[in-house]
Amino acid sequence: MAKILIVDDDQDVVEAMRVVLGKFRHEVVAAYDGSEGLEKTRKEKPDLIILDVMLPGVDGFEVAREIKKDERVKSTPILMLTAIKERTGIDFHKEAGDPDWLPVEDYCNKPLDYEVLIDKVNRLLLTRKTS
Amino acid sequence: MKETFADITPEKQLTDRIYWLINLRWIAILGVVSTVFVVSQIIRIPLLTKPLYGIALILAIYNALCVWGVTYFKVHLRYAAIKFVASLQIFLDLSCLAALIHFSGGVENPFYFYFIFHIIIAGILLSRFETYLMAAYAACLFMLMAVAEYRGYLAHHCLSGVFATSWHEYPAYLVGSSFVLTSTLLIAAYLTTSISARLRAHERSLQTANALLAEKDRIKSEYVLRVNHDIKEDLAAIHTCIEPVQKGITGPLNEGQKDLLRRVRERSKQLIVYVDALLEMTKLKLAEKLEKDLFFVPDFVKEISESIGTVAAERQIVFEVQLDPEVSKMNGMRVYMAEALLNLLKNALKYTPDKGRIVWEIRGEKDRLCMKISDTGIGISPEELPRVFEEFYRAKNAKAKVKKGTGLGLSIARKIVEMHQGKIWLESVLNQGTSVHLEFPASLSS
Repeated sequence: MAKILIVDDDQDVVEAMRVVLGKFRHEVVAAYDGSEGLEKTRKEKPDLIILDVMLPGVDGFEVAREIKKDERVKSTPILMLTAIKERTGIDFHKEAGDPDWLPVEDYCNKPLDYEVLIDKVNRLLLTRKTS
Repeated sequence: MKETFADITPEKQLTDRIYWLINLRWIAILGVVSTVFVVSQIIRIPLLTKPLYGIALILAIYNALCVWGVTYFKVHLRYAAIKFVASLQIFLDLSCLAALIHFSGGVENPFYFYFIFHIIIAGILLSRFETYLMAAYAACLFMLMAVAEYRGYLAHHCLSGVFATSWHEYPAYLVGSSFVLTSTLLIAAYLTTSISARLRAHERSLQTANALLAEKDRIKSEYVLRVNHDIKEDLAAIHTCIEPVQKGITGPLNEGQKDLLRRVRERSKQLIVYVDALLEMTKLKLAEKLEKDLFFVPDFVKEISESIGTVAAERQIVFEVQLDPEVSKMNGMRVYMAEALLNLLKNALKYTPDKGRIVWEIRGEKDRLCMKISDTGIGISPEELPRVFEEFYRAKNAKAKVKKGTGLGLSIARKIVEMHQGKIWLESVLNQGTSVHLEFPASLSS
């Protein structure tokens, strides 16, 4: 069981994920925009952050960079959600992990495939525990 | 690529007309040489052939220089500069015509009415004021020649044997012909510039209308983009919410519930695919210029064929890639190029029955890069062939074989190919197969 922070501006998507992650006995905390995401990261100290790219105000990239700059929370793994068809011009497969540019541990494509999501969540939580 | 109305800039238009002028000049030079030859050798009127041929030679040299100059500077010149070149040419042409007339009888030579042609050309190429200036210059040239020959400052070269008297000695004739010529030239200048002005105004209004239409089209595309974006967000949320229920994550379901939810999910997924394609097409329409990068073709081809190859193998379709080893690099928009090719190859897969065959050829030629994707699929009927690139169009037999489809795959591919200054066309035989041909300029592979 772990505490997971979901940062996504779509409440329905957050609720769907909450149900799924809840089934795996994870505790879910939600934030609906970038600054709330940062705030909750610092306050709640989650074990994992699921972060959407497109957020109102501070976007997902900026949130990830801020988190990785903060000594207290920088070790928290981030799983980024991307809509593959939205051409961000970014090759997540190659660029994820770059500490300056895209400091996220992994990514998931939207619309979500829950099997993939659960698999990645579990893997990230496991590496966090072992490290 | 096809030239659209908006691409015709005033510079290009004027340059085209200068080419036209140059071509006319070649004809005029031929005309001078042949007339001099016929008049002196066949009709046997004594002419000073040497200076006349000399002027023709000068004209030929100057025209050749014009060809070189216009071709060489074409891309760099601004409108004012091109216009100056046009004025200079007309000025020189008038001077040469005056010289030709002087050496072939002066005022006695009725060819002096040819000055009109130059004024008409000036009226088409130049502004109203400049055209009147040219008309005045032509009239002055004629009058100066008449006066100089009358007063003996210039030698008069008589057309002996044609006229009983030397007309250049009669002041009344000189005044009369000067007046008629001058007024003719001015009227010609007036008429041509009036018509040109009207035509130019018409052209401008067409251009404005065209720009307005393009702007409206852009606004429409932006609107489609926004609406689609919103629709997609909702669809994605629906999809995301149904999945855990349908997969039984939220609790067990009976068979009927499972089946209905599976249907809901399938339909929402289909809608997402459709909206994605529409978004893609709209974005491509709005994109003006995209960044190009240089990439390695073998890697690119490998990446694409791997994803296609897996599906092909499952359906026992032979998928063959023939890559010309000469083609190593491509300068283009990799992501888009991949999308276009994936669209085409997926189409081939979709409409080729199991155990069929798909061949993707990539060939480098001297001045272009060619690709061909051929399949042994259901083909397209000749009546429908011209329509398959239309947005949302799906051929009847395609609909019968695969019910779902956006009808946008080929339009997107064509748009991307055109963004690379390429061409795309189809050859197809019903029930035998289709070949998609792609052709790009060589600059793409350098």
